[in-house]
Amino acid sequence: MFRIAIKMLWGDRAKFAGLIFGIAFTSFLVTFAMSYFCGFMTWGFALIAENPSADVWVMDPAVPSTELTTNLPDSALYRVRSVQGVHYAVPMALGTAEVRFPNGSFQSFQVIGVDDASLAGIPPIQAGASPSLLRAPDAVLVAEGGTSDKLNTPARVQDQWPYGASHLDVPTRMLQAGDELQINDRRAVVMGIAQALPRYPARPLLYTTIANASRFLPPERHRLTFVLASAAPGISARELATRIQASTGLRARAASDFKTDTVLWFLVNSEDVGDIAAMLLLAMTVGFGVTGVMLYIFTSENLRHYALLGAMGATPRLLIRMLFVQAGMCAMLGSGLGLGACSLASYAVGYIDYPFRLMWFTPLFGMLMVVLVSLGAAALSVRPVLKLSPAVVFAGR
Amino acid sequence: MVFALAAYRREEPAMPPPSSPAVRCQRIVKYYGTGDTRVVALRGIDLDVYKGELLMLVGPSGCGKTSLISVIAALLESDEGDCHLLGENIQRMELEARTVFRGRHVGFVFQAFNLLPTLSALDNVAVPLLIHGLPRSLAETKAGALLERVGLAGHAHLLPSQLSGGQQQRVAIARALVHEPDLVICDEPTSSLDHATGHSIMQLLRELARTQGRALIVVTHDPRILEFADRIAHMDDGRIVDVTRVPGTSHEI
Repeated sequence: MFRIAIKMLWGDRAKFAGLIFGIAFTSFLVTFAMSYFCGFMTWGFALIAENPSADVWVMDPAVPSTELTTNLPDSALYRVRSVQGVHYAVPMALGTAEVRFPNGSFQSFQVIGVDDASLAGIPPIQAGASPSLLRAPDAVLVAEGGTSDKLNTPARVQDQWPYGASHLDVPTRMLQAGDELQINDRRAVVMGIAQALPRYPARPLLYTTIANASRFLPPERHRLTFVLASAAPGISARELATRIQASTGLRARAASDFKTDTVLWFLVNSEDVGDIAAMLLLAMTVGFGVTGVMLYIFTSENLRHYALLGAMGATPRLLIRMLFVQAGMCAMLGSGLGLGACSLASYAVGYIDYPFRLMWFTPLFGMLMVVLVSLGAAALSVRPVLKLSPAVVFAGR
Repeated sequence: MVFALAAYRREEPAMPPPSSPAVRCQRIVKYYGTGDTRVVALRGIDLDVYKGELLMLVGPSGCGKTSLISVIAALLESDEGDCHLLGENIQRMELEARTVFRGRHVGFVFQAFNLLPTLSALDNVAVPLLIHGLPRSLAETKAGALLERVGLAGHAHLLPSQLSGGQQQRVAIARALVHEPDLVICDEPTSSLDHATGHSIMQLLRELARTQGRALIVVTHDPRILEFADRIAHMDDGRIVDVTRVPGTSHEI
């Protein structure tokens, strides 16, 4: 009879196509929205992801994430290096600076200062240039950090230094090696474009050495934001974090745990996350509502046929099983198509800087929710089917 | 009444006591609604229908014909009285047992055919067998044989919408008989058909039912098919007011 149930379902091609499209669209919408959300969260911990050699991140005990930081005294670096099990440890400095372009326009950049000696923390550079370029005087690398058109500088020489109002609205081009910028009245020379991971919230990035960062950024008593420690062979990141925390009193987190901390911090503190979550909830409510209603309507329109089957000897139990087979079939097919479309979309958005990450649990969650809603709709449809007297087969002549 | 019943009417002859009626209804009462809105549909119906007999139920609209066949077929529960189908008191059965019993022993033919529109003729005929758990291949073989008997062997894979009214009713008859029921209930089986088609449908029904000793109850408003009846029960206002035997029928009760 399940074959008959499925034939009843797809016999009316137009209705079946509408039902499957509705479920597929809902599944796509939910999975896409969740992947979009996960993409944003992934961008949120881009700084950690960009430094895979750092097993443990050490910071002030009050620092909850990469987004809300305060600096450490320089001695913190040496205290971390002295902990048994630390293979090596390098400093990292974070700050924000207003960067002036040659025509006078300015843009806020996140400045990331890396260890002068090892240059650890520099992302890959365009055209395969070497990070050692940063050893040149006033050298910086820039990156869009998820923004667009924020690295534009005047295209014509006559619009560059000295600047003024007449040069603000002029043709521009992307910054390139050799261009000069001004930070806190100090000269910075762009040595290349870094292929940094996009950030959430998006912001232009400026990589330089800690020595240069100390000159560019407004004076502060402490300049060290994080110490990035690598574990000696045979020691896990978590074990090393525990050791560092115990012996220095600083907060030390394994990179994976610090990513989680940062995501949780965004979930609690970011207003954008609330907006995205509300959008996701709305999409899910509308999508699941439409799915449930469509399935319910489908059953209602077939009530007479269920009554006929009942008259011919189909027990209530068999009718319920048929209903659930129909709902399950719709759910599986619709969510499968939706997830397929979402996978294709992930390939499409992979070519652009778009916060999209299809994680293992997003399609699972999307499919589970669609199946649950479909089964819920089937459960709601059970009552009218069971309450319907098979005697209606004689009605409506 | 516009029915030309008089032509067929005669005094009930003294019959030998029937050995085993397929249907025995005793003092069946059926109400709809409650209180002031209560309507009495059946007012103490007594009726026996015997195996191999074709009984026609006639009467004006609203006289209770549909209620009576619904009670007989165990689609509705009566409020008073008992209805025995093949010796079983169906009114006292649990819902599930009653449904299974109905499925095994009763076949239906409807005025509007009531074929499942998304299933082929073969699938439609096979449905009663599949409901009772017969394997698909066996069900399809039996359904195919029945379709051949009703003259639709070449139409097995067509949808109801691709068949004429007469062909659809033949499919419905095949569906009603495929599981070899003991009782076939036909609700206005010829009303949607022209005279010639209706006549052939009744011949088919009578032939298929009679040869296997089934009881047939046919509700009709169509005076042109009364000649096929063994007996005609005339209903009015929830009562059977008259039962006539049709002369010339060879069937012995």
